[in-house]
This record gives sequence, structure tokens and C-alpha cells, in this order.
Amino acid sequence: MKDPGFFKEGFRAMLPITTGAIPFGAVVGTICAEAGFSFTQSEFVNLILYAGTSHLASAELMMKHAASAVVIITGLIINLRFLLYSAALSPVLQNAGFWTKAFCTHSLTDQSYAVMIANQERLKTPRDMIQFYCGTAVCMWLAWHASFIAGYVFGNFAPASWALDYGVPLSFVALVIPTLKNGQYVTIAAFSCVASVLLHDLPYHTGLMVTALSAIALAALITRKRGVA
Amino acid sequence: MRDSSYFWFNFLLLALGTLAIRGSFIALAARVRISDRLKEIFSFIPAAILPAFAAPAVFFHQGHVAWAGGKERMLILVLAGVVTYYTRSTVATIGFGLVALFVLTQVLSIYGIGA
Repeated sequence: MKDPGFFKEGFRAMLPITTGAIPFGAVVGTICAEAGFSFTQSEFVNLILYAGTSHLASAELMMKHAASAVVIITGLIINLRFLLYSAALSPVLQNAGFWTKAFCTHSLTDQSYAVMIANQERLKTPRDMIQFYCGTAVCMWLAWHASFIAGYVFGNFAPASWALDYGVPLSFVALVIPTLKNGQYVTIAAFSCVASVLLHDLPYHTGLMVTALSAIALAALITRKRGVA
Repeated sequence: MRDSSYFWFNFLLLALGTLAIRGSFIALAARVRISDRLKEIFSFIPAAILPAFAAPAVFFHQGHVAWAGGKERMLILVLAGVVTYYTRSTVATIGFGLVALFVLTQVLSIYGIGA
């Protein structure tokens, strides 16, 4: 029943995008190893969580022994953006079966969403879209787990002078710069830099959480339309 | 690591919460719509969060390069931002940053320029 055409197309469309996720996956894997989590623990969490940025953030907070509420809430704020993608996929999936919905839910990523939106004009029916989406998702899933595992295993052997931990801030720069579409985004990013440094010593490692929430509030403030509130 | 209950409690709740966020609208089907205004605000999430991670990590890091005041990681991070801007490539950004840091802290220190 599956027309393999669109699945393959989705898979192929995702291939060049994975070059961005592979080094990041390797960094997250390396940090999990450095945090002292066992391989089984790390990859099991990676399988059920499958969200690199929040995985990394929570692993780092746990290395500092932050309170559970801080670890969990910080991770969830980072993943709030998935609400948007879920909303975008819901009309496509409304007549799909349970397992299709379940797979699409689990495998929802920034990249799959972006690639599907970029190709939506040639995908005529929900069926085409789902097949295409699943192709992108399977491609990303394989690339992510392979790079995470490679990072966990080989990151351990890298000499300290290579400073692989520096890959974390570097990968965030690479992730954030393309999202800065205009001056308003740059303003928010600059605010986030300054606030996070100033709020670094807030108790219970809440600096990141407070910075993120106040930066989002500031974004709401500077983008509000006059008269509409 | 404190203990394994700390590990599992945090990660299981985070994973469940994330699954709930991802599944929210898919489970509700098309009955609920997200407003354009909320979409606009959500598009600021990367800009709000990612710098808050990277900035303190490099700002408070005590480095080894004397002429950079030990802030060579901060310096290279700014240059890496320029690399991303022009290449749009994660590989190029991470590659540039790691090599630049290695050269600055390891190679140049041999000649007494770096450290």
C-alpha cells in the first residue's frame, strides 16, 4: 500500500540536512559520556527523548546537581517549539492511523518540519505528505542515533587538548544564527547573551530558565502590534 | 552523578513531557488551531534560549591564552558566528572553532605566542 516514491524523496531531501545534525549528535553523545552516564542509560534516554538540545541542557544541569524541577522545566521550555510543528502536522495526520500518528509524534524534529514545509507544494494529498515526512524522519532518526553513539564511544578517547566540550557552544552558534531573520531576532539573541551572563549565579541553576522566559516575554513585547495588543 | 533515581526521574519526566508537547495537536486533530501571534512568539525560542547556553559557558571559562585575557573561547565563538553567517554550515562552524582553539592553545604556545 505504500508508494515508496515520496518516502524515498523525503529521505533524499533530508540527507544534506543531516550534516548539520551529525556533529551536534556527536557532541551530545560525548557530553553524556563525560557526565558519567552509562552507554545503556544514555542511548535509552536518547531513544525515548530524541531531542538533542534539551538532552544536552538537562545532562549539563544534572552534572551541576541542579534540582529536578529545574532540569525538567528547562528541558521542557526548550522543547515548547514542538507545539508549533505538532500544530502544523495535525491537519495532515487527522485521518491517519494510531501508529502513524505515534511515529510522527515521536520523530518530530526541527529539520523534518522544515524540510516538509519547504516541499509542501509538490505534495498534493495528506498521504503524499505523510510518506514524504516519514522519509525525512527515518533519515534523521538514523543519522542522529548513529552520530550520538559515535560521539559517546569515540568522544571518550579524544585527548583533552582537542577540547571537544567546546563543540557545545559552537553548535549552538550554528543553530541560532540561521534563525535570526531580522533585527528583532538579533535583539532577543543579544538580550539572551547578556541576561544569561548576569543571571548566571541565580540560585538553584535557574539562570537559564529565567533568561529564556524573560527573553520570550521581551519578544512578545517588541513584536506586539499597535492597537491589537 | 548523584544516583540513578535522580537520573531516571529527570529524564523520564522530560521525555514524557516532550512527547506530550509533540503529540498535543496531533492527538487533538484539527479541532484546535494555533494562532499566528503565538507562532510568531514561538519563532523566537531559539534566539531566546541558545545564546543563554553558549554565552555563560564561554564567558566564565578560564582559558590559557594570556593576550586574550584567558577569553580565547569567547573570541573564537564570535568568529565562529561569522563563519556560520557566511557558510550556513554546522560542520564548518564546529570545525573552524575546534581547530582555531587547538591552534591557539596548543600549537602557538609551543612558540610562546599563545599562552
